[in-house]
Amino acid sequence: MADTQEFHYRLPRRVGGQRPGSHPGSSLGAGQEFVSHMRLYDRPDPRRLDLRASLRNPGGDWLVRTHRQRAGIVVHAVIDVSASMSFGGERSKIHVAADFVEALGVSAFRLGDALGMSAFDAVERTDLFFPAMLNRGIGSVMAAALRSCASDANGVAGLELALEHLAGKQGLIFLVSDFHWPLVHLGEALDLLSHAYVVPVIVWDPAEMEPPAANGFANLRDAESGRQRTLWLRPKLRQEWREAVAARRAEIESLLAARAIRPFYAHGCFDGEAMSRYFFEATA
Amino acid sequence: MNFSIDFAQPWVLLLLPLALLPLLHRRRDALQFSSLNWLPADRPGRVIGILWRFSAMLAILATVLALAGPGRPETQVMRSGRGAEILLLMDRSRSMDLRMLPPDWRTLDPVIMTQQAWSRGPQKSQVARQLLAKFVAQRTDDRFALMFFSAAPMLVVPFTQHDEIVQAGITAGGVGRGLSETDVGAALLAAIGAFDQRAYSGSRIILLVSDGGAQLDAETRQRIQAGLLRNRIGLYWLYLRSINSPNLEAADASEAIPEIALHRFFQRLPTPYRAYQADEPEDLAKAVAEVGRQQNFPLDYAERIPRFDFSRYCLAVAAFACLMLLLYQAKQLRSWS
Repeated sequence: MADTQEFHYRLPRRVGGQRPGSHPGSSLGAGQEFVSHMRLYDRPDPRRLDLRASLRNPGGDWLVRTHRQRAGIVVHAVIDVSASMSFGGERSKIHVAADFVEALGVSAFRLGDALGMSAFDAVERTDLFFPAMLNRGIGSVMAAALRSCASDANGVAGLELALEHLAGKQGLIFLVSDFHWPLVHLGEALDLLSHAYVVPVIVWDPAEMEPPAANGFANLRDAESGRQRTLWLRPKLRQEWREAVAARRAEIESLLAARAIRPFYAHGCFDGEAMSRYFFEATA
Repeated sequence: MNFSIDFAQPWVLLLLPLALLPLLHRRRDALQFSSLNWLPADRPGRVIGILWRFSAMLAILATVLALAGPGRPETQVMRSGRGAEILLLMDRSRSMDLRMLPPDWRTLDPVIMTQQAWSRGPQKSQVARQLLAKFVAQRTDDRFALMFFSAAPMLVVPFTQHDEIVQAGITAGGVGRGLSETDVGAALLAAIGAFDQRAYSGSRIILLVSDGGAQLDAETRQRIQAGLLRNRIGLYWLYLRSINSPNLEAADASEAIPEIALHRFFQRLPTPYRAYQADEPEDLAKAVAEVGRQQNFPLDYAERIPRFDFSRYCLAVAAFACLMLLLYQAKQLRSWS
């Protein structure tokens, strides 16, 4: 992709971690955010000696200003590469996911965050696993790996395996999928990731969301199961199609809302501006 | 009647498993979609999906069946009726194209009678054909065969009860002009031969319609006599008499005249023989009616029912199934964009 849709993100909550970065942290260190005064003996940092506060102090101790340090975090992208992701009218959904990962690589490097990636279909795709690292071009490498990956595997059984080494860790996790699988798995996945800030990136293709305009018959094959079915496209079916899409969206959103998570939609392409807006809204 | 079915090319049935091909869900036939569970349930669509696969199977099945050539095998049916087996042996020589005597010939001046007879009366063969057609039409129970002869005999219609074929054969006798030769002996032998190899099931008649006779040699006479006796055939001669033809009934006529010689030979036969001398069209009609009265006996015979081919129905079914497939293809969505 010629121009990467770089975006800005900020964790809306404090994270621990000693590595300086740009997210609100919980550890003390060099930063703009004043926390309290401490005795010089407790925190031997004479650079931050506060003379005015020390004079006012009835105890007579030297006081040192302490600040909160902004933290760098680990960003992880978990990508669904099952067969249904290879579907797409103009661009396949896996390509949209790759675009997103590429943009994420640039954005994470700008903010000084480490970026890792894991992928899953019926199994955890270890060939697409990247441990978290601070590297300028890692996003492009991940995107290239995604674009060239082929999968006709069926199912979502690898999701939990892929999430196992992220479980219980803080950080930012993008869960990129089309969520064409039973939502029970999503609930279990979110339980594993309860310490992290999870952003579900829902990749849907316009051809999935909007039925074809022409009347006629469509002999369809399920990308995952290979099952075939014939549809008679007619106004009534189009209406039902749109209703089914809306129902699915409502189902996903209600499940996520119960965990105070808002999904991000990528319909046919990834829009960096929209992702920036998503985080501004979340942090505001 | 049995309803058994046979096949002209049974080995083609080996191709029947090809009809299972549409059941293989090939990737190429279908448009890929990410998740079918996502889509609304569509009962008519499901039915159409089953129907088009069924049509495809039916098209292959019916085509293979048609290639195998199914049919009801040839059978024989015993029929019984009243009447006789009548072979119409008709003279097709050129003299039959001449005219009969006009109805008022007895009142004409003998001087001009020849002239009148050449120009006025109806054509002999035409009258004979009309009467024979009527005769056949009246006698629905009889089985007829039709043979023309002039220089050589020609069997036009073998024995059948389907009168329309006989009628068509009689009508066909009017096409063109006759030949000059008349070989009565060979014609009679061929007519007798037509009865060979046939089970005797009722009275048999050869109805010879002719306007002239012939001198038969001794050997031919011998064979005719033996044949008539062997096949038990009655002989009727409709003698179409025109001007200058000899009178068969004349007692003093010489055997040098071919007609008289033939008549005398027939009379000497041990088998039934009757001659009807027709001077005018009315006489001919009377003679035909008399033959009709004479022969009315019960008759059993086997009728051959030809093999009936079903492949055209199979092809019609296949064509219909293909039409359905074409309609489906015409309305099929090819791509998402």
